[in-house]
Parts: sequence; C-alpha cells; structure tokens
Amino acid sequence: MTDTHPPRTGLGLAVAAAAMLVVAGGGAFWYATQRNAAANPEAPADMTVSVGAETCDPRDITVPGGNRSFRIVNASDRPIEWEILDGVMVVAERENIAPGFRQTLTVQLAPGDYAITCGLLSNPRGTLHVTPSDEAAVAASEVTLRKFLGPLSEYRVYLVLQSAKAVKAAEALREAIAAGDLAAAQAAWKAARIPYRQIEPLASRMADLENAIDPNAVYLAGQEGDPGFTGYHRLEYGLFGQNSTDGLAPVADRLVADLTDLSARLKAVEIDPALLIGLPGAMAGQLATAHVPAGENRYAGNDLDELQASLDGIGKLTGLLRPVLAGVDPGLEGDIGAAQDKAERDLASLKQGDAWPAYDQVTDDRRQQLAGSLTALQTALDRMQPVIGIN
Amino acid sequence: MISPFLRSTALGLALAGPALAADPSLDLVGPLSDYKIFVAENTAQLVSDAEAFTAAIKAGDLDKAKALFAPTRTSYERVEPIAELFSDLDVSIDARADDYEKAEQDPGFTGFHRIEYGLWSEGSTQGLEGHADRLLADIRELDSRITALTFPPEVVVGGAAVLMEEVAATKISGEEDRYSRTDLWDFDANFEGAEKIYTLFRPLIADGEADFVAKVDGNFQAVREVLAKYETPEGGFVSYEELTDSDRNILSAKVNTLAEDLATLRGKLGLG
Repeated sequence: MTDTHPPRTGLGLAVAAAAMLVVAGGGAFWYATQRNAAANPEAPADMTVSVGAETCDPRDITVPGGNRSFRIVNASDRPIEWEILDGVMVVAERENIAPGFRQTLTVQLAPGDYAITCGLLSNPRGTLHVTPSDEAAVAASEVTLRKFLGPLSEYRVYLVLQSAKAVKAAEALREAIAAGDLAAAQAAWKAARIPYRQIEPLASRMADLENAIDPNAVYLAGQEGDPGFTGYHRLEYGLFGQNSTDGLAPVADRLVADLTDLSARLKAVEIDPALLIGLPGAMAGQLATAHVPAGENRYAGNDLDELQASLDGIGKLTGLLRPVLAGVDPGLEGDIGAAQDKAERDLASLKQGDAWPAYDQVTDDRRQQLAGSLTALQTALDRMQPVIGIN
Repeated sequence: MISPFLRSTALGLALAGPALAADPSLDLVGPLSDYKIFVAENTAQLVSDAEAFTAAIKAGDLDKAKALFAPTRTSYERVEPIAELFSDLDVSIDARADDYEKAEQDPGFTGFHRIEYGLWSEGSTQGLEGHADRLLADIRELDSRITALTFPPEVVVGGAAVLMEEVAATKISGEEDRYSRTDLWDFDANFEGAEKIYTLFRPLIADGEADFVAKVDGNFQAVREVLAKYETPEGGFVSYEELTDSDRNILSAKVNTLAEDLATLRGKLGLG
C-alpha cells in the first residue's frame, strides 16, 4: 500500500512551505492551532507583547488574519506562559518564559476574537482581534491533505472503538444464546446491532465479511433455509421469528469471529480523503432506497432504533468533514447541516414517548417522507466531492 | 472495495503538482489515531484513579490520600500536551500556587497542587473535601471533552518536545510537586508521554533520518537508565530530594537535548 502515498521526498519541502499553512475561517479550532515549532528569540515578529507583573502591553491587539508572529517579552519577575485562547481552547502558547527573556510564537490565525493571557492567572486577560484578510481567506479556502489528517485520524479512532464494541456486544449475545435465555438474547441482539450500524458506512464495503455478517434472507435463493443465511439476521430469525435459541450457538460463534476479523481489517484499512467524503452520502442513499422503504429487520421490527444509529454514524462523518468544508463552501456546509437536521427531525417524530414503535406500524406515507429527507441529505452530501475532494 | 478509492486519490495526489508538495503523508493517520487511543486509555485511568484518590480524602484517610496522590497524577502528566489544550480545566486541575497573586492562600488555587499543599504542608484532609469534589468533576469533564476532540496533528507531534520542555522547566528544578516531593513520578510520566509520541512516529522517519533516530534513541535510553536508579520496588519513585547533583546534571543535559531534537519532529513529518 505504500505506493498509494505521496513520496516521502515531498516532506522536506513542507518545512519551506510552512508559511502556506491553512486555517479554516471560523472552522474547527484545530486549524488554528499551528503552534510554533521553533522559538528563535531574534526572529522578526509582527507584534511585540511585553508581559509585566499585572498586565500585557499592549493589552488589546488587532492583527490581520493569516500567519502571524508575536514576540513575547517577560518583563515580570517570575516565569510566565503566554496563550492565545479561543473560548476555553488554547490556540497557541509559549510556556516557561523566564524573567527578562523573550520568545517568539508564530501561529495561523483565522479572523475572529480571541483572548490573551497576561502573566498571573488572576491578572485580567487581553484581547486579540483578528480581522479578515486575503491571506486568511486563501488559507481557509485551500484544500490540502493536511486539513484531512485530523478528520481521518478521528474516524479511524471511531472505527477501532466502535468495532471493538461490536465484538464485545456480539460476545454478550453469544453468552445469552449459550445460556438458552431467550429474553436476554433478544435484548442482547438489539444492543449488538447499534455499534455495527454506526460503522456500517465503511464496514459494509468489506464485501466478503458483509455477506457473512449482514445478509438478508430476501436476497438469498433459499430464503431463510439458504445455507448462506448467516450472521445477525439469521440470529434475528431464530430469536424473534422462531422465539428460540435452539441451534443458534454456532451462528453466534461465527458472527463473533467475523466481527473480530472486521475489527482487525478496519484497523488496518487506510482511508483517504476521497473515501471519507464519499461514505456519508452513500450511506444516506442506501437508507433512502433500501432500508426505509422495505424495512430490514423483518422479525425484530426494531428498524427505527437502528436508523437512529445509522444517522449517528453519518453524523460522525459529517461532523468531521464540515469544518473542512466551511472554509471552502460555507453555503454547502449549511445545506448539509440543514438536511441532516431535517432527517433527524423526521425520524424523531416517529418516536412514541421514549420508545420507537415496531416498524410495521410506520405507514408508507411516513416511510416516504423519511426516505425523501434522506435522499435530500444524500444529494447535499454528494456535492462535497467536487468541492473538497482532493482528486 | 477500498483500493480503487485509494489508487484514484494517490494518482490525484501524484498529478496535483507543487501545490500539494507541502502536504504531509497519509502515513500520519495511523500513529495520530493510535495516539488518541493511548490518550483515551490514560484519561479513563485518570478518572478511576481520581475516584479512589478523592474518596480517600473525603473519608479522612490521610495516609491513603498521600499514597494515591502521585500515581493518580501520572495519567494526567502522560497526556499533558492534549490535556492542557483546555485552558480552564488545566488551570483548575493543575495550576501551581505561584500562578496566583496570593499563592497558597489565593481562593483561585484549586486542583491537585492545592490538595497536595493540604495533605503535606498542613498534614490533614480537613477542608479538602470541596477541592476533591471539584477535581473529580473537572477530570470527568476533561475525559469527555477529550473523547469529543479531533486531535490537532501538530499538537500531537509537537507534544513530544512540549513534554520534554516541561520536564526541563518544572520537574528537574523540583518546582512541580514542592510539598510532596513526588516530582520524579511526574518526570517519569512526562517522559513516557514524550517517548510514546516519538515511538509512534519513529517508523515514518527511521529510514531517512538514521542519525537523528540513533541520537534520540540514545538520549531516551540514557534518561531511562538514570530514572531507573530512583525507582522503588513497588513501582514508584523515591523523594526528589534523593536525586544527586550529578544525576540531576545528566538528566538536565539529556532532557534539554531531547527537547531540542524532538522540536524538529514536526518539520520532519511535514507539519512544520
């Protein structure tokens, strides 16, 4: 897989191009946390800030957005740290500046209002007002692989943690089946589906495992009697269709083994930006055209609970991608947010009190409405690829 | 299923030309996400250790509270580059008396070091109950905020140097845990946190930077050997006062060199 990566020799150039680093305007805070690597005290700076015993001089600073440097002079008689804060989040800081010493901090700043610390925690903070600039606008609108590193890493963490939960939940299901406890096994089955549905956008692309883990009898020649009918829905058929745990132990064993394989594979798979961008729209489309109209859990009927888990899984992806999108196409970012809220609302409106009704109680009209909002969500999500796709 | 996506993107990257030349590699995703999992394990441990520590305080068990103080802190010190991103919690959990105008008597002085002051300097758990409740609540909040945080790649990679600078500035001087003299526990935890980051990203530079990794490996080893002399059979560390001047000098030199060398890691990985 090493041939799928940009050549290592490109890394050397990265240092020279550090000034081109990008910030999403008003986006997630991490774009703004380009902390200074080198603390050369003699480097020229855009602004000198002197920190005395009680205050900063100047205390209210205005700079244009972009790559800005601050020379911090410790004019007090104790060691200080100097921080730029966005709310409670540290955007950049220099720590342990000794009395009489100075250090330079360089940071990519998106337009907005920040606070600065001034020595003692009990001292009043100063303000940093960052004005819009061409430099900041260009930085926000540039699409680079670097902007995807955080989202890609966070999604991998999600896949690793949720797939581990799926394995654990399947093990609990297997135990309940082995104990012959039907009620416990039915509850465990429903619980076991949730983490799987959350990671399904990528998990379902492992075709061989998907065919063993999640096949539906409707698509098999021999229906429920087909030897290929394995995995979650085979267990669902036994537990809810036949109201029995008989003969299910080997099916549960196999499910645990397949999910363990899946977990290892999701940990090893290398996801790139194009794939990440494509996942949520594809999942929304699949729900709109297959799951919502026809239902999927024909024996347990708990489809709505699982649809919520699927929307959570889509929401995880869009939550990671929207900050990248916000700097490039804020209109589309807003459209996606609105479409997602609409789908969430349509689903939530089906709740009866705190509980989801069985899916056979959901009328065709309501199914069509939900499918419509999911299709709209897919349409919005599919507009991302040309805007922030790196290809 | 996956590879067509990957190939098409790799082609896109290869053809995209100079505009993308500054981009770091997708190879960073593996270690970055492994680091978050490491941090999550530590904050989960921190929550459960803090529960036991604060319960001992509230039960008035001075000896137990003192015994649990240093080991509870280690999970925080290991992940400090991420934990200190939340300025409000970093202040309330880990600020030292000299950050405040009235030092130990300042009403704003809370968290680990306020409790440390009570347990050792005042020799009592009395009056610490409120601080214990606040510390536990802050630590739980920290755990949930970290779970929700997309880690900034440059903070993760830069964290190795930040931890070594932290050791150089506050641990070698014996300033951090001035009432309990458990500084070596924190030193070791900062050191482990830095080494974890370095170890995760080391494979990405080992081929191209053989001299650099040999030097850094050697300095990590040297620090580890000195620290090992001060370990107790129970897995903890002796009082900071037992650190000899010559060992302090060795540690100081090695740690400063590590801090300088590790500060170049971001640039080497395209995150400068």
